This record gives sequence, C-alpha cells and structure tokens, in this order.
Amino acid sequence: MNALAARGIAKSFGGRKALDGVTFAIDYGELVGLIGPNGSGKTTLLNILSGHLVPDAGEILLDGKPMHGMTPVRAAHSGILRMFQLTRVFRRMSALDNLVTAGCALGLEFGAAQARARELVEELRLEHVATLDAGNLSGGQQKLLEFGCCFMVPPKIALLDEPFAAVHPTMKEIMAEFIRRRHAAGQTVLVVSHDMPVIVELCRSAICMNAGVVLAAGETREVLANHQVIEAYLGGEAA
Amino acid sequence: MTRSSQQRLRDELVASLALMAAVAAVPLAVTNDYWLGVLIVSMYFVFLAGGWNLLAGYAGQFSLAPATFAMLGAYGTGLLAYHWQVPAWASIPAGILAAALIGMTLGRIVMRLRGPYLALTTLSFAEIMRIVIGNSYDFTRGDLGLSVPALTNNRLVWYYVFVATVVLMQLALYALLRSRAGLYLMAIRDDEIGAASRGINTAFWKTAAFTLSTALAGLAGVLYAHFSSLVSPELGLILQTGLVICMVFIGGIASLVGPVFGAFLVYLASEALREAGGVQLIVFALLVILIARFFREGLWGLARRLLERPAP
Ligand SMILES: Nc1ncnc2c1ncn2[C@@H]1O[C@H](COP(=O)(O)OP(=O)(O)OP(=O)(O)O)[C@@H](O)[C@H]1O
Ligand SMILES: [Mg+2]
Repeated sequence: MNALAARGIAKSFGGRKALDGVTFAIDYGELVGLIGPNGSGKTTLLNILSGHLVPDAGEILLDGKPMHGMTPVRAAHSGILRMFQLTRVFRRMSALDNLVTAGCALGLEFGAAQARARELVEELRLEHVATLDAGNLSGGQQKLLEFGCCFMVPPKIALLDEPFAAVHPTMKEIMAEFIRRRHAAGQTVLVVSHDMPVIVELCRSAICMNAGVVLAAGETREVLANHQVIEAYLGGEAA
Repeated sequence: MTRSSQQRLRDELVASLALMAAVAAVPLAVTNDYWLGVLIVSMYFVFLAGGWNLLAGYAGQFSLAPATFAMLGAYGTGLLAYHWQVPAWASIPAGILAAALIGMTLGRIVMRLRGPYLALTTLSFAEIMRIVIGNSYDFTRGDLGLSVPALTNNRLVWYYVFVATVVLMQLALYALLRSRAGLYLMAIRDDEIGAASRGINTAFWKTAAFTLSTALAGLAGVLYAHFSSLVSPELGLILQTGLVICMVFIGGIASLVGPVFGAFLVYLASEALREAGGVQLIVFALLVILIARFFREGLWGLARRLLERPAP
C-alpha cells in the first residue's frame, strides 16, 4: 500500500491542459524528487494533492483510500502538509507564533506547541529572529519558517514546492540536513526542485514531468538518464 | 502564543484598564449631566470600535456595517418592549442575540468575498437595513423613532453600567485573543489560503469573528436604547460607521487598547467640534489618512514606541 498515490489526474485551465493523466505512487518513508521544466505542472499537481484545486478527472489515494471532495483543511488534518512555491507565512505574527499556530491547528495543546516551536526554531537556526514578525524575516528565513510549519506535527507526507529556490547555501544545507534526518526516521516527503545536484544527492527516487504528463519515474539516476527527460530539459516545452 | 506577544497583549489590556479607571474617576470631578452623557456615548462607541477591531484588525474582514448592528440590537430590545411588553431582562439579551444571529448569517453570506467586495456588500446591507427600518412605519414608527423604557434616569448609574461593561468586554477580548482563537484569527487575516493549508477551519473562524463582532455592536445598541430611551434609524447611518472606523485607526488598529482610546478621543473631539459642523469628519478622515500613511499602528503604536525607546 502506498502513502500517497494519484491516478489519472487531469486539470485544464481555460482549455489548456496543465495536467493530462498523471499517475504515480509514493511509498511510506520514501523521499521523492519531483522535477520538470517550468510550466510542466508540478505546482498544479501539488495544489491538487493538497486540496487547493479540484481535478477535472482522476483520484487521489491516501493510505490506499480515495480522497473525495478534498479541501486544504481536510488535507492538513489527514496529514498532507505543504510548502508553497511563493512563500506563505503569517506576516504580522512572530516567527514563533507562526509555528505555534501551525501546531495548535493540528491539535497540539498550547504548551506542547510552544515547546515544539522552540525546538524547531533551534534546529532551523532561527533563534535570533524568532520573536520578530515573520514579515520582517528575510526571504530565505521565511522559507525556513514555512518549512518548519510543515513539521510542527509530523505529517503523513510533506509536499515541498521548491524549498531551496533563492535560498543561501548555508540555509539550503540546514533544510537538506533536516529532511535527511526526518527521512532517516521514516518521514515521507515529496520535494519539487530545479536544483539537480540536491535532488540527486537527497532523493533515491524521482518523478519527472513535462507538459502535464509523467515522463519517467523510478530511481533518480535512471530517471535522469531517460532520453525523454534529457530531451525535455534541453528541448524546452514540446516533448 | 509566545511570551513576547502575550506580554504585548497584557500591556494593552493593562493600558485599557488604566484608561477605564481614569474614566471611572471622572464623576468625582465632573457632575455635569451633559458631559457624563458625552462620556456614556463615547463608551457606546467603545463597544462598536472594540467589535469592529476584532473583525477588521484581528481577523482582517473589513465590514462597513458596525453601526447597523447597533441599530439592530437597539430595535431588537425596543420592539420587543414596545409591541409585546417584554421586560428588559429578557429583551436586552434578545436584542444582542438578534444582532449576533443576523451578523452570523451575513458573515456566512459574505464568506467568500474579500477586500472591496466585502466592504461594498456589507455597505449595501447597512443601507438596506436602515431604509427598511425607516420605512416600516407601522412596525418601527420609522423616522419618528421608537421610545424604549428607560430603566433608570440616574445618569451616574448608567455611567457605571457602561464602565463595568466596557471592562468586561476588554477582559473577554483579552481571554479570546490570548487563546488559540486569537492565533487563528490573525493567521486568517495575514494569509487566508496559508491558514487553511495549516488546517485552520477558516470558514468557521471567520463566521465566529463576524458573530462576536456583531454581538458587541448589538450590546452597544441595547445599552444605548435603554439609556437614551429613544432609538431611531439614525443609529445606523453610514456616518456612524465612519466614526467607528476613524476611532479604530486613530487609536491603533489590531491592539486591545487602541479602539478604546480612539473612541474617547474621537467622540470628545467631535463634541468639541460640534459648532464647526461638517468639518468633523473631514478632520478625522485626514487624520486617518495620515495615520494609515505614516504610523499604521495609530496613536497607541506611537505611544508604545516612545515608551519602549531605550533610555539615553
Ligand atoms: N490558476 C491557473 N490559471 C491558469 N493557468 C494556470 C494556473 N495555474 C497553472 N497554470 C498553467 O498550468 C501550467 C503548469 O503550471 P505549474 O505552475 O503547475 O508549473 P510548474 O511545473 O510548477 O512550473 P515552475 O517550475 O515554473 O514552478 C502552466 O502552463 C501554467 O501557466
Ligand atoms: Mg511550480
């Protein structure tokens, strides 16, 4: 049984197909990279998996059970937590309060959420900005904070949309190390990135999309060696 | 909520209670019925400003109908007493409940509207309600106004009823805002999509904010109705809502003390400017523009910055 699976997901925006029959599965404890050229549908897929968009066709299975009428709130409570490509933090609340809010929303008691928030702040090296309003954090610090919010309560699966984009190498390493540690402890993660070295280093398996379809899925090295994948990356849109 | 934000909220509560203590002491020096009346009406606005601040300042929903819900609460208790001789102990809570239920319904209807769309819809609602009440002469006595039983004519008693109720409201808001509800409302204000993706039931909490905010407006309305023993559709004039918004912005939006401070300041100033007529709202509107432009946290934010400035 898979932790998360999608079957024949399709989505069009005004007649333009963004996703055209996407099928894949992620096992428990897997750390999977999702790659593909700009506009290939990665974010759209994440939006559907997390209940932010309703697919035109196809279904999503969590723990092998189909999820119908999924909303972001339901997704979060079923253990699907995500990070957005365009960072979303609660700008006029302190960084710590952002984390506490994320914890409380998933049922942590106040005290437990506070303790957990302090641990995460330390682990993510955000101590010195923890009491600042999140809106005053740098772009990279905000990404780190949003990242932390996904792990206040260990999710069934974390969907990370380009967590490393425009992030300083040091912070990138903090995040990568965090993911590695959680993965070693059994955390399931799907991570979108254009940063091939990181994907190769981090993810044993990968899914490559292009123009709304899955081109290849499996071991990362094999996916990257796939000639269609190479063509997609070199040739741009049409494949 | 973390220590520093809890501390900030507590400071705001303490500041507002200190202000109310000063207000409570005023009758020692001022016995003039007219000025006590002015302060009572200021406190009527404290409820409206406090309720609107909860909705707009903390939950980010800019309704343009606070005065309307005061009018609805006032007519709720007034009509029950007028047509069915319902005693005040029952008609007062009924008036508040009526305002809250209508507020909850409106909240559900405007659930998906944001920014200017929300403002315009609540504004139309406000105008429709005022016109309906003004034109239902047989039921409401229309623009003539409805007389409501005065529970007492002792101004001092009313004065302390208002003071005590404001203190209760502040304590209740403090308890609400330092609980998880406060975090959820602020999260929705800052990023509704983000809040939902963290598992916060945004529809529920937005409706809750609408309901509580309109209940506070209803509370203002019922107290005012029995204090003044006359209610009229003028309570629901958009001008009144304009005053409430000025109060919140000038005092300091999204703080517990700002709206209290702002309500006294703006209402007293509007009394002082009464002779000058129409210029009041122009003056306040200019102030709001200046504040929105230069210090978004209003006078309370300014005061806090001065207090927190490290000693040289
Ligand atoms: N809300 C929307 N309305 C219209 N078109 C959309 C919408 N969202 C996505 N699209 C289109 O769907 C396609 C896939 O977009 P998507 O954001 O999923 O790509 P992506 O793989 O995440 O790209 P990137 O690597 O640049 O983030 C694009 O052509 C995009 O223009
Ligand atoms: Mg994307």
